[in-house]
Amino acid sequence: MTDRPSVLVPIRVLEGESLPEGVPEFLANAHVVLLGYHAIPDQTAPGQARMQFEERANRKLDQFETAFNDAGATVERRLVFTHGPQKTINRQIIEHDCLAVLVPNAVPTPEDVLVAVRGTVGLDRLARVVGGLFDDSDLGITLYHVVGEGETDEDVEMLLDSLRDRLVDLGVGADRIGTRTDAAEEPLDRIVDTAEEFDAVVMGESDPTLATFVFGMPTDRVAERFLGPVLVVQREPPKEEAEEEAAEE
Amino acid sequence: MDEPAVDVETTGENVAGERPEDEPEAVTDDVTAHDDEVELERTIGLVGGLAIGIGTMIGAGIFVFPGLAATEAGPAASLSFTIGGVIALLVALPTSELATAMPRSGGGYYFISRSLGTAYGAIVGIGLWLGLVFASAFYLVGLGHYVVAVLAEIGMGLSIPVAPHVVLGLTFGVILTALSIGGTENTASLQNIIVVVLLAILTGFLTYGSLDAVGVFGRQTAPEAFFSQGFFPVLTTAALVFTSYLGFAQVATVAGEIKQPSRNLPRAMIGSVIVVTVFYVVTIFVATSAFGADALGRFGETAMVEVARELLGLPGAVLILFAGLLATFSSANASILSASRSVYALSRDALLPRRAGQVNLRYGTPHVALLMAGGPILVLVATDRVEVLAEVASFLHLVMYGLICVALIVLRRRDPEWYDPRYRMPGVPALPAVGAVASFALIAFMNPTSIVVGIVIMLVSYLWYRYYAGTVELKGDI
Repeated sequence: MTDRPSVLVPIRVLEGESLPEGVPEFLANAHVVLLGYHAIPDQTAPGQARMQFEERANRKLDQFETAFNDAGATVERRLVFTHGPQKTINRQIIEHDCLAVLVPNAVPTPEDVLVAVRGTVGLDRLARVVGGLFDDSDLGITLYHVVGEGETDEDVEMLLDSLRDRLVDLGVGADRIGTRTDAAEEPLDRIVDTAEEFDAVVMGESDPTLATFVFGMPTDRVAERFLGPVLVVQREPPKEEAEEEAAEE
Repeated sequence: MDEPAVDVETTGENVAGERPEDEPEAVTDDVTAHDDEVELERTIGLVGGLAIGIGTMIGAGIFVFPGLAATEAGPAASLSFTIGGVIALLVALPTSELATAMPRSGGGYYFISRSLGTAYGAIVGIGLWLGLVFASAFYLVGLGHYVVAVLAEIGMGLSIPVAPHVVLGLTFGVILTALSIGGTENTASLQNIIVVVLLAILTGFLTYGSLDAVGVFGRQTAPEAFFSQGFFPVLTTAALVFTSYLGFAQVATVAGEIKQPSRNLPRAMIGSVIVVTVFYVVTIFVATSAFGADALGRFGETAMVEVARELLGLPGAVLILFAGLLATFSSANASILSASRSVYALSRDALLPRRAGQVNLRYGTPHVALLMAGGPILVLVATDRVEVLAEVASFLHLVMYGLICVALIVLRRRDPEWYDPRYRMPGVPALPAVGAVASFALIAFMNPTSIVVGIVIMLVSYLWYRYYAGTVELKGDI
């Protein structure tokens, strides 16, 4: 078996958000970083919320942890009271070196997963997540690329083949891997449309561009519209930050 | 890079059988960590810290005090503000050092209870809560004056039997408390924007005013003796206007939420004191140059509006009215929130009932603590005693400031193993000793009424501690 990829599972633990059906089984091969967080308004001190809610939150996290353990995953957990949930999630990704973040949606009995491939950048991490999580399952894996302007058929074929080869190296049966391409002006909409035929989606984190400030991160938009779980594979953490942290240690 | 937490085993229980909450295990740049993998995220950066400090302070010194101060001290009022600024800086230095050694919520109360013991802690903690209540009431009366001035400007004089600014102050007090309890919008970023807008308006206005005052635009200013009222009033005025310097300690109140505390806390506290001191001194210079101290005094709380009208005509007056509304509003708001944080810190340590720190299930806000701030504020606004409100607020803070200096000297002398501040102030023990003496001395120059009210509050706090705290012991291993 390959290394367990570490996957962050953030849950707003006190707002009735619970672990959706099928998620523990979906991540059975992962090292799950279970993050229960509670977002509080500026008027409230985080310690104040802790004083009142810690016990309740921990009871729920206990349940979730057991569910993951029962499914076969290894679990590390954190409970965070925060004014800035996004900062908390980003920090956990870096601190625990998470390869991917799960947008938790229900996935009763997954049969096939769509792997959206954007380009060669980040391909290695994508392979480690997909290979690590699904090498010994019988899920159908479809590698998918939306062909953009100026890309030739050979480029796309090479891209998908190289990912397929890596997955096979990681122990995924070649017969389980399919490929599919589409051409579209607006790749994102195309991905969401295609995703409807699948039970789960794995995709790379998108670069923040100007458009993301207007419309939100593309990955968020996919997650909003797709009803199943979405695994967002994180970019390699920037070198400088890693060094800075090392210097601070 | 975990720093060791303060070596404190809080022990004992109060008369209601409540025990102080456990101390955290470690403090890092990003979180306060408790055991069982529970973390409290730090989310306020340097800009946010500066905005809390400057936003709380700038309301009073520029938009309420110039008229009052000029009446009492003449043009030398700018010296009064300088004295206040120097004392504030003398206290901001030790506060910064203690804050980097113990970056926990509660600020001055936390440092003093952990280094000097529960009794001092209770007096300072309750004093901090009520001091902020007095300060907030003072800002709300100021806000009332500005709303009245705005209404007068658009031709809507209010003719009601009671003083209109008090009614307006009360109304805003109710609105602010209700917003704090029921609003979940991001108030912190709003506060940042308000402070930036204020500083931009003031920089422009004061630059023009200064150039005008030194005669660049060819206008004559009334020459006036600097110490027109003598030297003694300079000191009493310094005691009065010290309320304008209470904000930097509010940064320490949220020390538990500041990112990279060892870097950001000292910068935010010392930086905000320096920024507002410069603004205050220049403001008084411009104001007294435009009118002369006597004329200025007759305009009362909204004197700056008349200064702006004199210099820039109607647009200037409107601009300063707008800025005054923003400034007094943000100061009142920041003080209510800090008062609620102080109540939380006290209830965390079992010096007030645990219920006082309770969080509302619907909004996630500390409604009891906010009401314990908002309720007394309304009573105080109704008294309409601007100067007493300001001085009592200063009194209660100055007691804390003096004790902060004492705590620093004690900690440096005993030098316990856990005491490892990232920022170490220069000139110990001389500078903190001067800070302590100056803080306590300034109290002596206040009105007798303010001194009596302040002493009564301290006495009641002590009695409350004797009655309620039981066996609670908060002092660290020193």
